[in-house]
Amino acid sequence: MKPYFEKMDDFGKELKKGRIKRAAESVENLNKTEGLIDDLKAKVKEAGLPTEKINQRGSMTVWQRIEYLVDADSWHPLHSLYNPLDNDEGTTNVVDGLAQIEGRWAVVIGFDNKVMAGAWLPGQSENILRVTDLAARLNIPLVWLVNCSGAKLPEQEKFYANRRGAGTPFYRHAELEQAGIPVLAGIYGTNPAGGGYQGISPTILLAHKGANIAVGGVGIVSGMAPRGGFDVEMLEELIEKTREFSATPPGSVDTHYDKTGFFSHVYEEETGVLDGIKEYMQAIPAYQPKFFQVAEPKEPAFPIDDIYSLLPFNQKEVYDFDEVLARLVDGSEHMEFRPDYGPEMYTGMVKINGMLVGCIGNRQGYLGKDYPEYGDYPGIGGKLYRQGLIKMNEFVTLCGRDRVPVIWFQDTSGIDVGDDAEQAEVLGLGQALIYSIQQTDVPMMLVVLRKGSAAAHYVLGGPTANRHNAFTLGTAATEIAVMHGETAAVATYARRAIKEKDAGRPLEPVAEKMNELAQQYLENSKPAFCAHHGMVDEIVNLKDLRNYLKAFAGAAYQNPKSICPRHHMIMPRIIKG
Amino acid sequence: MATNVEAPLAGNIWEVLVKVGDSVEEDDELVIIEALKMENPVYAPADGTVKEIKVAKGDVVEEDDILIILE
Repeated sequence: MKPYFEKMDDFGKELKKGRIKRAAESVENLNKTEGLIDDLKAKVKEAGLPTEKINQRGSMTVWQRIEYLVDADSWHPLHSLYNPLDNDEGTTNVVDGLAQIEGRWAVVIGFDNKVMAGAWLPGQSENILRVTDLAARLNIPLVWLVNCSGAKLPEQEKFYANRRGAGTPFYRHAELEQAGIPVLAGIYGTNPAGGGYQGISPTILLAHKGANIAVGGVGIVSGMAPRGGFDVEMLEELIEKTREFSATPPGSVDTHYDKTGFFSHVYEEETGVLDGIKEYMQAIPAYQPKFFQVAEPKEPAFPIDDIYSLLPFNQKEVYDFDEVLARLVDGSEHMEFRPDYGPEMYTGMVKINGMLVGCIGNRQGYLGKDYPEYGDYPGIGGKLYRQGLIKMNEFVTLCGRDRVPVIWFQDTSGIDVGDDAEQAEVLGLGQALIYSIQQTDVPMMLVVLRKGSAAAHYVLGGPTANRHNAFTLGTAATEIAVMHGETAAVATYARRAIKEKDAGRPLEPVAEKMNELAQQYLENSKPAFCAHHGMVDEIVNLKDLRNYLKAFAGAAYQNPKSICPRHHMIMPRIIKG
Repeated sequence: MATNVEAPLAGNIWEVLVKVGDSVEEDDELVIIEALKMENPVYAPADGTVKEIKVAKGDVVEEDDILIILE
């Protein structure tokens, strides 16, 4: 298939000087926002005890363990700012991301042992479930760095129980194992109760010599039988028992290596555990990239930093999506699918690190005369019309048929509205796109370049596509909300304004309320808010976007559940005609 | 030969980015029209020099109105 894939059509143009000049303020805003996000991430990384303190106790921090474990430059953090229940600790207390270990992709997650010795905190189980979903979607191993002191007891009501509570990940581990996806665990420190299940539920358990896992820890064993209250005599008894159990906590390596054999290996050094994980990673099934590469990997023909001048921070400013994409894909080459149909959407095949990926993105700006063909109003990019929806349905279906992973890029204000649009079936075609996505069963990822609005945020491969969207990235320009704040203010207060007017009352208070709501929307749709609440899995600096696309493609092609031989693919033939 | 740069859609002139006498290249941004709540750039259809500017910031333009003449 060399004629198709080795050299695709060139696209993209060099950045114009005028564009660079005009974008100066926008570039400054993007850089400033990226700086703020970086600062927030650094703060999360510094949560809890200082690194020195942990090292003085003879332990490595979770960050040091990750750094030792993963291949150089392969760490792609996710959920850095995720803290949906606003924990005072500033974190859900797990650290996770995509990384390569011994050249193979894995989802890596570890408890932050600097914060309450790696305790369960509110929001953590939801964080973990995103991670187990990611491993399932990409069909790659899940690697745990277990160091979990159990639950933060004063807040247990927020996470202990419920359908997606702290015990749900143990079922997810079983699901992964049933699907043939290994869960490897390096185990450190004291892991009682929930921590014990964090330790026992993975597939292969590799323990540090000081590690223990148990149904109940010292705190529980020594105070197991409630007696209706406390007094000094009881406290004396408790102190004695706790001292005794602290000296020999239950579930140490003496028990779980020598007697039960739950631990496959025990290591003298903390780094030994990580070396053990590396050895197991060498033993997992993984294709070499060349198996699926259709061409030699190539850098884009244009600098990735150009994106800062191309993607306007100002949400009203129009830009050329194709130019952004040309800075992200191998050789700035592509095979565009149906370029003369549905102009509001880009659909095409590209290469990322030599591997085929389908790309879908919103184009911006005026769409030309007589479009949409069913309405007597001008069409504008960012909106979805009948043709674009039909084109995406076709493209996604063909990607599924050809087993090609899909990367979505959103900058959408929504689907076309009004009776003309309804007659043009946009409502049905939007749901048809959801159906098309659902039946593909190929991994997908999403980058919300700027706006993610209305139902279009759902149908364009959004995180709501739970079984298909592996992860979603945002940028410094990301803004996610059901609609623009001013539109929401109009929808909320228009009738109230009529009532006030008819009653002869002043309209100023209504205008004030509308401004308040619009401002609230603005604040609650910004990148940091989106990351904090999990609307995106990570805010990524624009210059790092291609690295995440490479991580996605590499992971998606590492061990795919099904393969379409390249010479059996139908999409390239349809494009060629 | 003169080339007319026309408004691709109706809207308000948000910004004029060139002056008479400026040399421009094909695809350079010349004018921004605010329409449909977006700032839409109008690009030079060919290389040339700005001979005449027929609009100013704030003007209302209709589709196909001549904005700029290049030569």
